[in-house]
This record gives sequence, structure tokens and C-alpha cells, in this order.
Amino acid sequence: MIAALADRAYFVAAFLLLGVGAYMLIGDRNLVKKVIGMNVFQSGIFLFLVASAFVTGASAPLLTEPAPYVSPLPHVLILTAIVVGVSLTAVALGLIVRIYEEYGTLRADLVEEVGDGE
Amino acid sequence: MTPVEAVLLVFVLATAVATAVLRDVLAVIIAFAAYSLGIAVVWLLLRAPDVGLTEAAVGAGVTTLLFLLTIAKTVRPPSDELFVDVNLPALGVSGLLVAALATTLTALPEIGSSSTPVATSRVTNYYLDNAYAETGVENAVTAVLAGYRGFDTLGEAVVVFAALIGLLVVLDREVLA
Repeated sequence: MIAALADRAYFVAAFLLLGVGAYMLIGDRNLVKKVIGMNVFQSGIFLFLVASAFVTGASAPLLTEPAPYVSPLPHVLILTAIVVGVSLTAVALGLIVRIYEEYGTLRADLVEEVGDGE
Repeated sequence: MTPVEAVLLVFVLATAVATAVLRDVLAVIIAFAAYSLGIAVVWLLLRAPDVGLTEAAVGAGVTTLLFLLTIAKTVRPPSDELFVDVNLPALGVSGLLVAALATTLTALPEIGSSSTPVATSRVTNYYLDNAYAETGVENAVTAVLAGYRGFDTLGEAVVVFAALIGLLVVLDREVLA
């Protein structure tokens, strides 16, 4: 059991990061911290994919290095996902700035209260 | 699993937990920047230097800057306490998520094994065998990103463009007008 966990430590770490990210998304009232939670959740998924591409003793997928190589495909998917994640974060933070201008608070529960009152 | 990897994973998890439990938003952003930097080094250890560079520049750099700009434009709630109160329902839900994911753990291949589905995949081996001959690029990640999956990258550019337009609309700025 312990050996099985040690062989899959990166997967365990990825699952725990998903847990931390989900906790922040659901549990934290501050909107900025929710977005940070979303980023942590994303990087948990990235860790899962990049770890699944890893081969012990292999080189990075630079063809000038000696073979064998780790798989380049998950790396490409993650590169795209990182850039898309930043775009998502930028739009989310833009919306948060607007919410603050309208409601004067960054707390999700207070925003809902003000919204109900109108 | 080398000692360096173990220490780094503990660091990454500790900074992730710090972002969740610290109350002050500025402290959370700093913890998140440290987290990004830690995970950028994890990418290097997993032989993904391209991902590591992007993470260090974009994750630790641009994202941190965006968060700092946001709290500069809004508010950093004053706090006397160091940590947030634990939200038990949310902790339960995320605990269930981790437990559900953990049930798949023994079905996953060992990390680093050369017989994993990813390592033996036809697609992986096609890229590694033919990338240089077909594209003339020695970095297989670049060859796949800009060559084989070029439309994917075009879609990514469309997303960045749409995000920029969305941001200008949301913030009601007319910088281009």
C-alpha cells in the first residue's frame, strides 16, 4: 500500500491539489480567493497530466538530447491550458472589479444579499 | 521518488493549503506566487521545461500581477485573525472529491514506468520519430504545438483575443477607440 502510494506520489499530490482548489471555490466567501482556488484546481489537473507523461531516466522532448524521451503531447496540452487559464483569470478578475464597483464588497454572500434586496 | 521531489511536493502542497487557510488576501496572493514557482520547478523535474518556463512567466508572473492589480483596484479586507474559519460543508465536499479520486489510484500506472499508455501510445511515438524530419524543429513540444496541433494553438489565440475583448467590455474601457 505504502509502496503503491510512493510510486504514485504525483497523482496523490494532484488529487490533494484538486481538493484544496475545490474547497477554496466552494468554501471561501472572498471572490478573489475563489479565483485563486480555481487556479490551484487547474494546476492539479496539469500535474496529473504531466506526471502521466513522465518516464524515469528519459530526456525532455528535445530531439537533440539522447533517447528515450518523455511524451511531448501532454506538455503541449498543458501549455495551451495555462494560457487559456490566464485568460479565464483575467476575465474573472475584470468581473470582480466591476462587482466591487457596483456592490462595494468582494464577499459573495453580501453580493447575494444586496442583489436580493433590490 | 527522490528526496528533492518529496521536499518539493510537500512545499507545493503546503503553499496550496496556505492559500486556502490564510485570511489576508495579499498573503494569499504571495502564497499563490510561491506555489506557482514551486510547481514550475516540479515541471522541470518531470522533464517538461517548456511548461516550467510558461508557468514561471505566466503563472508566477502575469497571474500574480493580475491579482495584485485587482486588490489595488478593489479592497483588501482588514483582518485581525491570521486564518479563515473552516467551512465544514465545503471541507466535506472537497474531502469527498479527494476520496472519490483516490479510489482510482491503484488503477493508475506507476509514475515513471516506460510501459504506461502515454509512453507507449502510437501518437507519442509518431511525434518523437517524425517531428524533426517533418517539421525541422528539434523541440518536439514546439513541433506539436505549432505544427501538428496548429489549429489548437489558433483556437488558443482566439480565446486570448476573446478574453481581451471581454475584459474591455466588462471594465467599460475604450482604449482602442
